[in-house]
Amino acid sequence: MKWMLFGPETYIFLVAFFFLILSMWRGPHSEKDHVLALALSGLGVVISLACLGAEGLLFAGAYRLDLFSQVFKVALSFGLFLIVCLCANVEEIKRRYRLEFYFFLFVCTLAMMLLVSAQHLLTILLALELSSYSLYILVTLRRDEDMGLEAGIKYFLTGIFASSIMIFGMALLYGATGAVYLQDLAQVLPEVMGTPAAVIGLLLTFGGFFFKLAVYPFHFWVADTYQGAPDQVTAYIATASKVAVIAVVIKLIAAVDQNSTYLIHVLAVLSIASMTLGNLAAMVQKDMKRLLAYSTIAHSGYVLIGILSGGTAGYASAVFYALALLVMKFTVFLVVVVLSPRGKNLEREELAGLHGRSPLLALALMVSIFSLAGIPPTIGFMGKFYVFMGAMDKGLFVLVLIAMINVVVSLYYYLLIIKAAYLGHSWETPPAVHLPQPMRWLTGALIATMMVAGFYPTPLIRLSEAVARSLM
Amino acid sequence: MIPFQAEDAIHMTVILATLTPLVAFLLIMLGTRARKNLSAGLSLGAIAISFGCSLLLLARLWNVREPLEYSTRWVALNRMEIPFGFLLDPVSLLMLSIVTLICLLVQVYSLGYMAGDPGFSRYYAFMSLFAWAMTSLVLSSSLLQLFIFWELVGLSSYLLIGFWYEKFSATQAGKKAFVMTRAGDVSFLLGLILVLVHVGNPAILEMNSLDSAGLMPSGILTFAALLIFGGIVGKSAQFPLMTWLPDAMEGPTPVSALLHSATMVAAGVYLFARLFPFFALSPTAMGIFLFIGTVSMILASTMAMVARDIKQVWAYSTISQLGFMIMGLAAGGYFAGVFHLTTHAGFKALLFLCSGVFIHTWHTNDIFELGKGGARRLKIPVIALVVAAGALAGLPPFSGFFSKEAILAALALSSHPVWLAAGLLGVFLTAYYAFRVLCILLFPPSAGEEPSGPVGGLAPAPKGSRQEGSSRTFIWPLIILAFLTLLLGFFQGPLQHFLLGEGKALLVDHGEQAGWLPFTALFLSLAGVGLAWAEFGRCGAARLSFVERIPFLRELFSRRWYLDHFYHFFVDRIVDRGFSKLFAQNDNRVIDGSIEAVSRGTLEAGRFLAFLQSGMIQYRLLVSFAVMVLLSLYFFYRDSGGF
Repeated sequence: MKWMLFGPETYIFLVAFFFLILSMWRGPHSEKDHVLALALSGLGVVISLACLGAEGLLFAGAYRLDLFSQVFKVALSFGLFLIVCLCANVEEIKRRYRLEFYFFLFVCTLAMMLLVSAQHLLTILLALELSSYSLYILVTLRRDEDMGLEAGIKYFLTGIFASSIMIFGMALLYGATGAVYLQDLAQVLPEVMGTPAAVIGLLLTFGGFFFKLAVYPFHFWVADTYQGAPDQVTAYIATASKVAVIAVVIKLIAAVDQNSTYLIHVLAVLSIASMTLGNLAAMVQKDMKRLLAYSTIAHSGYVLIGILSGGTAGYASAVFYALALLVMKFTVFLVVVVLSPRGKNLEREELAGLHGRSPLLALALMVSIFSLAGIPPTIGFMGKFYVFMGAMDKGLFVLVLIAMINVVVSLYYYLLIIKAAYLGHSWETPPAVHLPQPMRWLTGALIATMMVAGFYPTPLIRLSEAVARSLM
Repeated sequence: MIPFQAEDAIHMTVILATLTPLVAFLLIMLGTRARKNLSAGLSLGAIAISFGCSLLLLARLWNVREPLEYSTRWVALNRMEIPFGFLLDPVSLLMLSIVTLICLLVQVYSLGYMAGDPGFSRYYAFMSLFAWAMTSLVLSSSLLQLFIFWELVGLSSYLLIGFWYEKFSATQAGKKAFVMTRAGDVSFLLGLILVLVHVGNPAILEMNSLDSAGLMPSGILTFAALLIFGGIVGKSAQFPLMTWLPDAMEGPTPVSALLHSATMVAAGVYLFARLFPFFALSPTAMGIFLFIGTVSMILASTMAMVARDIKQVWAYSTISQLGFMIMGLAAGGYFAGVFHLTTHAGFKALLFLCSGVFIHTWHTNDIFELGKGGARRLKIPVIALVVAAGALAGLPPFSGFFSKEAILAALALSSHPVWLAAGLLGVFLTAYYAFRVLCILLFPPSAGEEPSGPVGGLAPAPKGSRQEGSSRTFIWPLIILAFLTLLLGFFQGPLQHFLLGEGKALLVDHGEQAGWLPFTALFLSLAGVGLAWAEFGRCGAARLSFVERIPFLRELFSRRWYLDHFYHFFVDRIVDRGFSKLFAQNDNRVIDGSIEAVSRGTLEAGRFLAFLQSGMIQYRLLVSFAVMVLLSLYFFYRDSGGF
């Protein structure tokens, strides 16, 4: 039964549909809706795990299932589950939109699942657009309409611009090769790799993904959108959405990887620009979400290093880094969401005294920030080490050196966060943070994951290697 | 390579030695934070077990020549396998014993010093964390593993310095220490990756074997050695990353004694000793190390000559002594460097702990104030201080004398006499600043007139019951360390035998220099002591050093040769104000600012239009487009360039 292969997608689609019906059927009921969404997304993780071994082609070859896509589907459904965990009280979104909020969240996840499996250029385009449009709406859902609207408009304008560039690129690519399937493209491309139409088409096609990945020069939306969107949506964009885009960029590059020095140079330039710009701009940010936005740009730069190193090792390191990012970024956002004052964004200085208010959250923040900064023994260090090893193996010493300098620069603002949380004094002592018991367990589990994977990353490395190998 | 064997007694001892502090840390953090005495007891018990185990290992393996390695596969990355395990050889066993002994003594000492502090349990938890990281670092069998614990050591030091976070500057100091050592660590990691890519295995034994010379071209080998040395420079506070250490002295004194003198900063020198055969493969790199060690030694000595804060003097002295060890090692004196590392750990910890007693009693760090307050009335700390200062100055029969002689002997064999001259200058300066502190403390100007009673309004803290009770925990570590300082020098022979094995006596092969060198060094030490006494000690002395008479030198030394100004300038002006502001400006003011300015001026309904028409979003998209066009153009350019 071939449709069984399509299990996770079908399931998420049905759940999204269910929320749509529900939103017409009855008014929102915060608590009940949250429990429902939690249970349904949890079941989604189980179903994705059950379909981990699925392999095959669907829809006339436009849709491919292999270990690569299935692992990322698990990661995506897991990311969705984590985000839903944070939605216990989404105060920033008006009550009447709550059910639509879940609807769009599930639709977006569905689109990303389609994206990691898509093999046809048009399927890729459609999936990417579906996920983007859900996000445009999610961003504007913020109660403070001006903030959300401004963020949404900026996101939307940059997004359609990137899409148009991408479509132009795809058209050029089709014109040069006559191929629309990735596997065909991989065969035809080597012959035409010297022609401008093919190369520029390829470059412009990547533009659309660079937009999603927040790579320079398509990073302009990131800071404003992160700042203006509701916290949970920002967390979703920063975690699940990034993982999906990293996956699809790896897939595309792996398909067209002809050891083209031109492509490597371009990617290297973009990677360096993203890292440097992200880290330097993050230094002066006071709004936590803005700061994390710039840090995201920097991390996209690090991921690009892994991708451009190529080969199984390079792709595996990028996969590892994507999975690590999911955990560590989410942990930071968990703290941000819990601490955010009603209707406003969390300022860095407002972290002051966190250590006294909630030692667990302070510890979670410290471990995740150290992980983002790449300090051992955390998962983030292993990720960076893996990526840099791959690049060094290819002889990209200068690139690694620049990345390392960036790592030191980034320490500056990461330490400011830790300093605020542990050593800062607030004028009035805010009340202790009350975390429900399940959230405490979740936080503890996230901390443990980051530390254990830092000390014993072998299983995760094996997984990443297997995933990367299934691409080749 | 021996596989893991659970029944192996030595192996169990090693695991016990490293893991008990971790268990103590976890127990304290998870359960016993509310109960102070239990927390301290756990931590002390764990480190005592570690110390016992390390002594046991030392005794068992005293005569074993071949290094023992217990390792298992840890990470398989690409095609290389990174082992995880323990490497037991003379230098690691020696270092393990030093670390655990100093940790134990400092923890005992802290019982009194930290009593009544609100974060008492947390302090002991971090102490245990540090002990675990440090013992694991010492025994690591691969460089990657060593690096991870190296970072953990840095992290726990960050936590311990920032421990007194009531003091604002303590947190700044913690940050500075962290960032500066990180800068070194990044270089270390880069070197590590470079070695890994070429040798394919970061096991220390493998790196040290001569094969790595065959696997790496000599240029790359030198480069990798220099990069790894960058980590040593950061950790051991050598030139040019030296200014974090004096600032880190804001933390509690026992922490300074443990981390910033005897163990953590010494980890850098330990790494040098550990990879000595690897570094020795590149004579160019060794020459650069010698230079950096010499510069650090001289610079830090001069800074110590004018400092008024007693802990800062010892901090500068630590930098200079570490530089001295690096000089010894870089000149090829493997044993000399390690021996000085050993003796220095003892006497420097003693210096800090003695100073801690004074600071705890008079609540000031200023040596002149301490002297006036009557520091010399505390008999045992003063005697211990004299012993330690004597060792630092290199006077016989204290341990420092023997190890300094060994290093000077190694320097005498080096290529150029300038290194030996620098070393001898260092001996003179060291003796001078050590006894300057001592003279100021012991012979305060008012000592003649008012031999008893508090002076200058600085009354000693009332001798309450708490202080009486805690004095035992203060005194015993001092006595033990003083005896160690007194006796360690006479164990030079056995230690040399232990470290180098049979038939490699060091002093044999340069008989002629050995003749005049000890006497010259001793003479210079005594000259330094004499000068210090003449300026600060004798009756009616001016109490003004020769350096302070020259304004230029005084400024230069007390401002740390303007190194901090340079960093400040660099970080502040160029990175902070320059780049980031530029980016932030582009982001905030030009784009957001104008959008807001425009949109605020219009009605809410017109806001959307104003935003669209302000043109700023076009400007951004134009940038995106231009970059894509440029990248496309690059294709043609590159293509015509003939790839």
